[in-house]
Order: sequence, then structure tokens, then C-alpha cells
Amino acid sequence: MTKQNMTEQEMNEQEINEQEINEQEIKKLANRLQQSLPPMNRELDHDLWPKMLQRIDNRACDRHWLAVLFSPSAMSAVPWFDWALLAVVIVGVCIFPKSIPIWLYHF
Amino acid sequence: MNSHRYLRAYMAGSAVPTMMLLVVLTGFLIARYVFQVPIPVERAIVFPMALVPNIFGAWNIFYLWLHPRHFPIGFHGAILPFVLAPLGLELASCLGFLAATSGGLVWFHELAIPYSMMAVGFCFGLIVYYLVWKYLVGFFNGVLGIA
Repeated sequence: MTKQNMTEQEMNEQEINEQEINEQEIKKLANRLQQSLPPMNRELDHDLWPKMLQRIDNRACDRHWLAVLFSPSAMSAVPWFDWALLAVVIVGVCIFPKSIPIWLYHF
Repeated sequence: MNSHRYLRAYMAGSAVPTMMLLVVLTGFLIARYVFQVPIPVERAIVFPMALVPNIFGAWNIFYLWLHPRHFPIGFHGAILPFVLAPLGLELASCLGFLAATSGGLVWFHELAIPYSMMAVGFCFGLIVYYLVWKYLVGFFNGVLGIA
């Protein structure tokens, strides 16, 4: 009887040991998985606008070059000083239209 | 995309005057046949057709060689009339449609431009070249991955 009791006790101890070992292995596996995956930030930690601009630029590559050149975003990027210079040139040509062939010759 | 940088710079530089050539030729033909300005088209077209695109291309290569980040392309382009204007005047006088008189220059045997107006026109030329290089040549440089 004592031998049978001993074996039952041993069996129980073995089962407990196996369970402990399994739990330890599962914990190790969980730790390794956590280390291999990058931490997730639920809140945004950076500005999304640069990425948006990059995406718009990528789309611009697919558009016709004239559409890109004269797009509203390109036009709005021109400083007022350059608009003023362009206006001066147009006014000058309108005042002195005889100069147009000479302009054409020099371009 | 880093290969043949100077070839791409030449192509980007010469693209604008090549496209403008159509406008130039149309303008010459309208001036000659509609407004009866006696422009010798076959001689007058030599400069804008043969020299200007090549000089633009070479000037853009020079810009790339100078390291673009240190010098704005608009100002680089605004220097070009100092090279092109004397060349154009010399060629025009050699080809016989520009004459220098005491009052000014006579273009195409008809258009008399006083010297003071030539100076003003040169300043306008600087503005035009500044804008063209800043926005058009600069754009093509960007398209071809130079600037």
C-alpha cells in the first residue's frame, strides 16, 4: 500500500512539475513574442501632414507634366515678387509691342 | 538615376527653348506675313534654333557643375543674357538684319530701337530669363532628378 501511495504521490509530483515546466515555457514564448514585435503606440506620436504631402507628390508623378507645372499648388507656391516681375514684363511688352520680334529672336 | 547627370542637365536646359521655337517661328511668320515686317525668317531663325537651345543646355550643365544648392537657379539663368545678348547682336549684324546707327539699333531694316530702350529691354530680358530658369528649367531639372 505504501508503495502504491508513493507511486501516486510521485505521479502527482511529476504532473505538477510538467505543468510548471509548461507554464514556464509558455511565459518564455510570450516574452520572446513581445520582444520580436515592435511596441504599439495607440496614440499618434507624429504629424501625418508630411506623409500626406508625400502621397500627393507620388500622385503628381502620374499626372501630365503640364498639369503639375500649372497646378494650383504650384501656382500658390510662387511668391508675390515673381508675379510682380511677370506683370512688369507683360505691361512692358504691351506698351512697346514693336519689341516682340526682338524678344522672339533672343529666345 | 545618378548616371548621366550632365546629359540629363543638357536635356532639361535645352527643353524650354526647343519648345519655345514653335512660338518663335509662329511669331516671325505672323510678323512677316500679317504685319509685313521684313524679317528674313531663314536667317533670323538660326540663332533661336541652333544656338539658344544648345547654350541653355550647356548653361544648365554649368549650373550642375557649380553645385546647385549653393546658388539659386533663377539668378544663374539671369546671368545668361550677358552671354546671349552680345552673341545674338553679333550674329544678327553678321547676317545682315541688324544695323547700328547713331540713334540706335535698326532691326530687320525697319524696327528702330534707341539705345536707351535697348538698356531697358536688356533689364526686361534679365527678368524673363530669371523667371524662365527659376520655374521652367528648374521644373525640368526636378523632373529629370537633377535638382
